[in-house]
Amino acid sequence: MNIARRSILGGLPMAAAGLLGGTARAAEGGMSIALSARAVGTLDPTKTVLGADNWACRQIFDTLVVPQDGTFAITPAEFKPSLAQSWDSSADARTWTFHLRQNVLWQKDQGEMTSEDVAFSFGRLIDPKVVVSNKVLYANIATVEAVDKYTVRFTLNRPDPLFCGSSVYTMSANIVPKRAYTERGDAFGQDPVGSGAYQTEKLELNKGVTLRGFDKHFAGAPVVKQLQVLYVLDTTARTLAFLSGQVDMIEGARTPGWMQSMQSRKPGIKFDATKPGSINTLHLNLTRKPLDDLRVRQAIRCAIDSQSLANAYGAMGAPMWGVSPTDFAGSVSTDSLPPELRYPYDPERAKKLLADAGYPTGVAISAFTSQREDYSAIMLMVQEQLRKANINLNLKIIDHTSMQNDNRRDLNSMAMESSSYPPVPTQALLQQLSSGAVVKSDSTGGGNYSHYGVAMPGVDTLLEKALDEPDFTKRAALCQDVERQVLRDLPDIGLLTLSYVIARNPRIDVGYPVQSGYAYWPLRRAKIVA
Amino acid sequence: MLRTIGQRLADSVPTLLLVVTLVFLALRLLPGDPALVALGENATPDQLDLFRHRMGLDIPLWRQYLVFLKDLATLNFGTSFMNQIPILDLLAASLPYTLALTAAATAVGVALGVPLGVLAATRRGRTADTVARLLALLGFTVPDFYLAALLLIWLALGWGWFPINGLGESLPDQLYHLVLPAVTLGVVKAAFISRLTRSALLDVLGRDYVRTAWAKGAQAGRVIYRHALRNALLPVATGLSVSILSTLSGSVAIELIFGRPGLGSLLIGAIETRDYPVIQADLVVFAVLVVAVNLAMDLLAVAIDPRLRT
Repeated sequence: MNIARRSILGGLPMAAAGLLGGTARAAEGGMSIALSARAVGTLDPTKTVLGADNWACRQIFDTLVVPQDGTFAITPAEFKPSLAQSWDSSADARTWTFHLRQNVLWQKDQGEMTSEDVAFSFGRLIDPKVVVSNKVLYANIATVEAVDKYTVRFTLNRPDPLFCGSSVYTMSANIVPKRAYTERGDAFGQDPVGSGAYQTEKLELNKGVTLRGFDKHFAGAPVVKQLQVLYVLDTTARTLAFLSGQVDMIEGARTPGWMQSMQSRKPGIKFDATKPGSINTLHLNLTRKPLDDLRVRQAIRCAIDSQSLANAYGAMGAPMWGVSPTDFAGSVSTDSLPPELRYPYDPERAKKLLADAGYPTGVAISAFTSQREDYSAIMLMVQEQLRKANINLNLKIIDHTSMQNDNRRDLNSMAMESSSYPPVPTQALLQQLSSGAVVKSDSTGGGNYSHYGVAMPGVDTLLEKALDEPDFTKRAALCQDVERQVLRDLPDIGLLTLSYVIARNPRIDVGYPVQSGYAYWPLRRAKIVA
Repeated sequence: MLRTIGQRLADSVPTLLLVVTLVFLALRLLPGDPALVALGENATPDQLDLFRHRMGLDIPLWRQYLVFLKDLATLNFGTSFMNQIPILDLLAASLPYTLALTAAATAVGVALGVPLGVLAATRRGRTADTVARLLALLGFTVPDFYLAALLLIWLALGWGWFPINGLGESLPDQLYHLVLPAVTLGVVKAAFISRLTRSALLDVLGRDYVRTAWAKGAQAGRVIYRHALRNALLPVATGLSVSILSTLSGSVAIELIFGRPGLGSLLIGAIETRDYPVIQADLVVFAVLVVAVNLAMDLLAVAIDPRLRT
């Protein structure tokens, strides 16, 4: 049905463009953003899994440190103060001390933020009895303690030179007020209190959240006093609302040609896009024939043209060489690789590799993927590319939740995964390629769908070495070794990265260029310029 | 009349029990782990187990069923797996919009469909009949989501007569926001009703008592609207109940396009996230609505046809 509606819209863009009026009817004196979601989930930052909720939470709460607006902090030195004014770490990168900013106030008259609040926030994240999103990100924290009113100390199990990126600047690590959180309980998600530049004014489950500028924010009140975060699931509905000027910003669709078609409809539109955005990889199940044969995996790698996949998405897409995007520390680029690990697109070589492996007429592989637009579009393109190398991918498209479930039960031969990782060199490697994360048929395993490190020797030793390395540069170099080993064994293939895109009415100036970062960004500095 | 209502309600109890049992079992057969959806793909096995324990998903199925029946009997729908919001709140935030849309679309459907059907029947074989039938055919064949997109592009985006989406604030504003979705669904409904009305009326117009009325020299309006249409409305009312029920459950696409909440959207969202308590509660409400609509239509039939009162 989505495809049909999209095609309707695609068939009538000129009519729509011709009828566009110049009147912006978006929130008078305020601004609005429409995001792809059905209804508000929760505005408790430790529990959100919805992108739209994350957008609202990003405005309501603050973290101890932040990257420069519009960027990811790739190295430890790139983090900036936020609730913490300064921080330092021990030489072994296992003890981190944060010195808090003084006189930071909670919204809704909840008093001053202190180290008790920070210790409470992180204490919940590491408490095994408390359910929070992305718990794995905080597994390395052994203790957190309030040293004095404005000092917090973290002790880690293992060194982490990029602690600010791996654990501190994450959605769940937004600091919440101890008293308000305890008093509200589960209701905190509907009536949140943060220290951020915006506070909730009205929450309507089916419509979205109206935010009002928090004048006492430590960095000053936001320029635009009201911000509406609207939840509009349907792409057509969001697009029409944007074209009519009813909303100022909309979440884009991750479909081939979306940016180009929007640009042709309304040339003045601005696009804010994160790079790298989502990281799309293809796990090859090493326990299944014919994928247990390296030559077959090499054939698949040679038959996939990452550049062409990326081109289909225009400016949103970028090719991948390893399993980490080239923008991140610890990644590899084609120039830095030896020729045998570059795998240029070559369907003829793929056929030869298959013949060498005993499959002169090609192979057939069954797999399934999600009906979500990015998954299905990418895998259908991959299917078409593989066909040219006599690799017949019998692809079944199922609903997203079923795909997640069946991947976790080790039912897939070639599992595509789309994830958004922070630029932490070890994170994707640990979650997708370590033996500790191997998938299990009883669904108690993790996201290593290839069985790398179990079905064949993997990169555990190298990863352990990287995780014990307190020096960031050396750690990144070790991660490059991991990447090269993965390219030799090919349990996992990097397909492309796909930017998260927001289309913006030029009347709104975000206040900084959006270049990279998570799929949400602060709007405190945004202003209305027309 | 009260006896009829009582009988109908009593009849509906086993139906409802069967429905909720089937819903409960069907949900557990669906692939998908609510814990994984709620906590995200990076959740650790320990966290997933903890979540399942808190939500009562780790106890035997028969015990889950008994808990479900007990909660249902006490109208305790529980809270959503995904956000811990009481399900009654979620239903309260959706049901009024579904009822309003269904009522408005039905009103539009009846207001357009019945006169069109009467026109077609009384001008049988003439131009008006052909045009009416063509319009009905068009209404049948144009998908509602396509019509919605056309109306949005022309009337909302192009001429700016209506809002693109949303719900509105005050009551007049809410009614204003309701117009396009109601017209979209109403047009499709009108096609169905006009065809029903036409065939039922043609059947009645050939009956002896209508011929007698014409022979007595009664005026055309009196013959058609008083004698013929009233008797033709019985099959129309039956068809209308089917149409209302399909709108109650099947207007998800319209809700999505116009950015409106509703029971259909709530259900689809809950199915996507395997939010069992929300799905169960939503379907129970649907089942109750089916019983209520059928009962209302039975009563309407009795009001239309006195012979059914015994």
